[in-house]
Parts: sequence; structure tokens; C-alpha cells
Amino acid sequence: MGGPGGRQGRRYTFAMRIDPALVSKVAALAALELSDAERDAMAGQLTRIVEHFEALRELPESLLEGDVAAHATPLREDVARDGSPGSLIEANAPAFAHGHFVVPRVVTRD
Amino acid sequence: MALADAVGTGRITARAVAEESLVRAGKAQEAFGAFLSMSPAKTLGEAEEVDRRVNAGERLALAGVPFAVKDNINVAGRPSTAGSKILAGFVAPDHATCVARLVQAGAVVVGKTNCDEFGMGSSNENSAYGQVRNPWDPARVPGGSSGGSAASVAARAVPLAVGTDTGGSVRQPAAFCGLVGWKPTYGRVSRYGLIAFASSFDQAGALTRSVDEAARAFAVMAGADPRDSTALATPVPDVLAAPGRGARGIRIGLLAEASSAEGGLHADVKASFEEAAATLRAAGALVTTVSVPRVTLAVPVYYLTATAEASSNLARFDGVRYGARRGEASLAGLYRETRSAGFGPEVKRRILLGTFALSAGYHDAYYGRAQRVRALLSRDFAAAFRGVDAILCPTSPEPAFAFGAKTDDPLAMYLADVFTVPASLAGLPAVSVPSGFSRDGLPIGMQLIGPGDSEPLLFALARVLEDASGALARRAPGAVS
Repeated sequence: MGGPGGRQGRRYTFAMRIDPALVSKVAALAALELSDAERDAMAGQLTRIVEHFEALRELPESLLEGDVAAHATPLREDVARDGSPGSLIEANAPAFAHGHFVVPRVVTRD
Repeated sequence: MALADAVGTGRITARAVAEESLVRAGKAQEAFGAFLSMSPAKTLGEAEEVDRRVNAGERLALAGVPFAVKDNINVAGRPSTAGSKILAGFVAPDHATCVARLVQAGAVVVGKTNCDEFGMGSSNENSAYGQVRNPWDPARVPGGSSGGSAASVAARAVPLAVGTDTGGSVRQPAAFCGLVGWKPTYGRVSRYGLIAFASSFDQAGALTRSVDEAARAFAVMAGADPRDSTALATPVPDVLAAPGRGARGIRIGLLAEASSAEGGLHADVKASFEEAAATLRAAGALVTTVSVPRVTLAVPVYYLTATAEASSNLARFDGVRYGARRGEASLAGLYRETRSAGFGPEVKRRILLGTFALSAGYHDAYYGRAQRVRALLSRDFAAAFRGVDAILCPTSPEPAFAFGAKTDDPLAMYLADVFTVPASLAGLPAVSVPSGFSRDGLPIGMQLIGPGDSEPLLFALARVLEDASGALARRAPGAVS
């Protein structure tokens, strides 16, 4: 795997290959499971896409010195509001009991 | 719309209009795969409610106008799958705000339309529920991701369809299907009830046959909303009188980078671009060329930032609260199996790309840098708009392409968005309007981009191009009525 090199303020090196090991690592972060064939195909496609993105590297740093966010996201008052009716939440849930979503056991004895 | 006037004055009932539209929608579904769900009983009941309101003396801007809604936008009591298996069986608890506003104005929902999964695609080939065919040529794609919405209007099942536009998903299918499609200034239409893909880009828009209808839909859909903190609270610009204003004295910039687009411009699109410039010049506009230098980087910037947002937004699909569920052995296994079985290949690809761009060690070099170039692109546009009032460029480098033409090459599919993603990155309003036809008889669309809140100007200019192209008089060969 090639590294991205560089930190904020340095010149970046984007040229990199996204190899199957990196795809597996990222897939684990995203809670996705890929077959070996899917993983290998994805490695090739993502490498090609990321190679194309190298064009971003060619911009001089001096051009990138403005504010990143032109407008801050406006925030609303932090007050509790009535959400959707409970019956619809229950109807959409794969498993629901006693007013709660049911999931596999998380805390075990061993 | 003449239809709204006829229902509003009692010359025809909303119920009769809805019955006819349901028949047409059924045909459009059969011929083009435009719809994912319909509920005739609901539609007729809602039409009868409109008739009651009209009889009670209410004046409704869109009385009885049948409309279709992209399946990633919530309509109360109807399924919302967003074109994904992971949302199979989900029924929306309430209306998206843009839908609620249309219903309040008297419009009637006819059905939910097919789309690329979570809005991720430019050809509607990424839907988990089958492809949509283009009513102008069923061997070609309708565009995406609002492909079903576009096909439903082009086939004349409905005069209006609502879509979402994250990187061009209303404008590009409008161009491919010979329709008018707009995305508003970011925040002008509430995002409440849209199934999120990339929140700093997602906007609801509409597809119609004419510019006048487009403006009427905008006037109803736009406005502040306490349920979306990014919805603009400033007054909505008045667009209703705009389409007749012409182009005299307006400064139009032809996008300089359009001609040098990577992969090139289709010859017929290039000719239509030149023709549109001549039309605006003849209408009294001052036409020059304008450069927005970072437009050439818009595709990389878009596909890094939008996928990063998607990787975060789509984390909510975990099999716990709604949709399909797989794997009960452990909680982590439930997440993994549900997501791996529920998401299609393009959605997985974008989640992986976005997760990569945000991950430790790569964040600054990819997501961080893309954000900074995004800001630079906004400054480029601001500089351009000091010299011109609006920018003209093709909506797509080519007319509708054949099925399978780009499915083996994700990057080629992304590059097809080169002209639509810039306005999305900068939060600017943009309208695609039919400007002519290719030698093969396929529609071609031109895009007008303006500064924030310039929708009235964009509709006025679009109307000039509409009048000159004669596109409004042509019907898709596959039209069902």
C-alpha cells in the first residue's frame, strides 16, 4: 500500500494504490463484508478513481487559504419535540418488544 | 398549469384527472419501469379530498395536478425504498415537507418512482428494482438518479415529478428525457423527509415538460421549514411572473471549460450549445465567455466529499430500526450482514470511498483537501458572477447513452456528471432546459447556473431557450397518451 504522505501544510503525494488489504480495513470500518472477488475488484476500481483525484494535488497551497465553510450550519433550539407516532416506528421495526427495538444479546456472562 | 385551472374552476374533477393519470402510470410502468409503487385507492381518495376543497371555495395553485415522487422522498403511508433492498418494507410515517406543500396546494400523489439506489447513479442502472427505459428510446437510459421521475413525465403519465438532486440527479435525467429540471439554491427547498445521501448537497427539485410548470412547482415547494435547520428563512424569490421576462440586457457567460471537458463534448451537444448562445444573443442578451477554472476539478471534489457524507449518513442502515435485517448471532454480525446483503455494489463502492477519504491517515489528504478546493470553486463562481448574470453550459456532455455503456467503468460514469456537480458543490441554483435534439432524435439539455436566489432569472432565460427550440411541441415516441 502506498501512503498518502504529508500532513496539513505539506505537499501531498496522492499517487497510491488501494490494495485488497486496505479495502478490507476500510470495509471493516464501514461494517461491510466483501467476498474475495468483490474485494479484489473494488481495489482495482478504487485505485483508478483515486488516481484520477490526483489532479487536486496540483493546486498551489496559496490558492487554498480561504475559509472552508462559507456558511456555518444554523442550529435550532435544543428542545425535545414530539417525534413520529410510536405505532409507525413499531410497524417499521424488524423486531420490537415492550417499547424497545430488539437486538442480539450484547452483554454476556463469558 | 391548464389542468389546475380546469380543476380549480370545476370544469373537470380531480378524481377524473387522477383516474386517467393512474391508467397512464400503469402503462408507463409496463413500458418503461418508471414506478416502484402505486396505491390507486389512496390516490383516488386524495383526489376526492381536493374536489371537496375546491367545492368549498378553496383556491389551490395546483388543484388536481397528478404528480410522481422519487422513492427516496417520503410520502406518508407509502413505501420508501430509495431503490434499495435494505429499505424493503419501510413505510414512511409522514410527508417530506416538499410533498406536504404540493399536497396542500392541491396536487395528488400518483406513485413512487424508480431511482438509483439512494440517489447514487447517473443512469438508473443502480436500482435494486430494475432499470428504467427512456421514453425517447427504450434502448437507452433515462439518466439518473431520478430516472423514474423523468420517465414518468416524458411518458406523459404525470405532468410533474419530484426528484432529488445531489450532484445532478434532477437536471441530467431532465436533459436525457427532454424535460425541464431544476435544483434550487441550497436551502431554498426543505430537505425534511428526503432520505439523506450527502446532506451538504441534497436538494429536492422538480421535473416538468415546460418552464412555466417548473416555476409553478418551485413557487409551491420553496420556503422555510422549522424541521430543516438548513432551509433558508429569507423570502422566496417570486418566480411566477419570471418566465415571460426575456433575456434583453442580461449578461450570459458561456462556460469556457465546457469545450475542453475531459472526454470531450458530443458533436450534437456542442452544436446545440452554440445554437443556444446564438438564441440568447438574438434575444438581446450580452453573451461572452467566462472561466470558472476549478470546474475541471469538480468531479474529484464531489466524489470525495459526497461519498464521505454518504458513508456517515448511510451508517443509520443497520437492521435495527427499520428495513431488512440479516444475521442474529451478534450485534456486530447483524450490522455487517444486514448492510452487506442490503446495499448494492455502487452504494458499497461509495461507502468504501467515503470511509477511506475520512479515515485516519488519509483524511487531510483527501477529504480535507477536497473541502478546501470546494471552497475555492465557490470563490471562482463568485468571481465569475461579478462579470456575468448567469452561466450557460450543456447539462451533460452527451445525450442519453445505451444500457451498459458505462456500467463496467465507475469512473466513466462519474465523469458524466462534469457539468452538473459544480453548481451542487457551490450550492447554486441551476435549471436544465431542452435546447434541441441530436441527429438520432434524442433530446439535448442546456444548463443555466446563477448566483444564489437567481431562480427568477434562470426561469426567464430557460423560457427563451424553450421558445426557440420548439422542444415543447415534440413528444417522446413512447408517450402513453
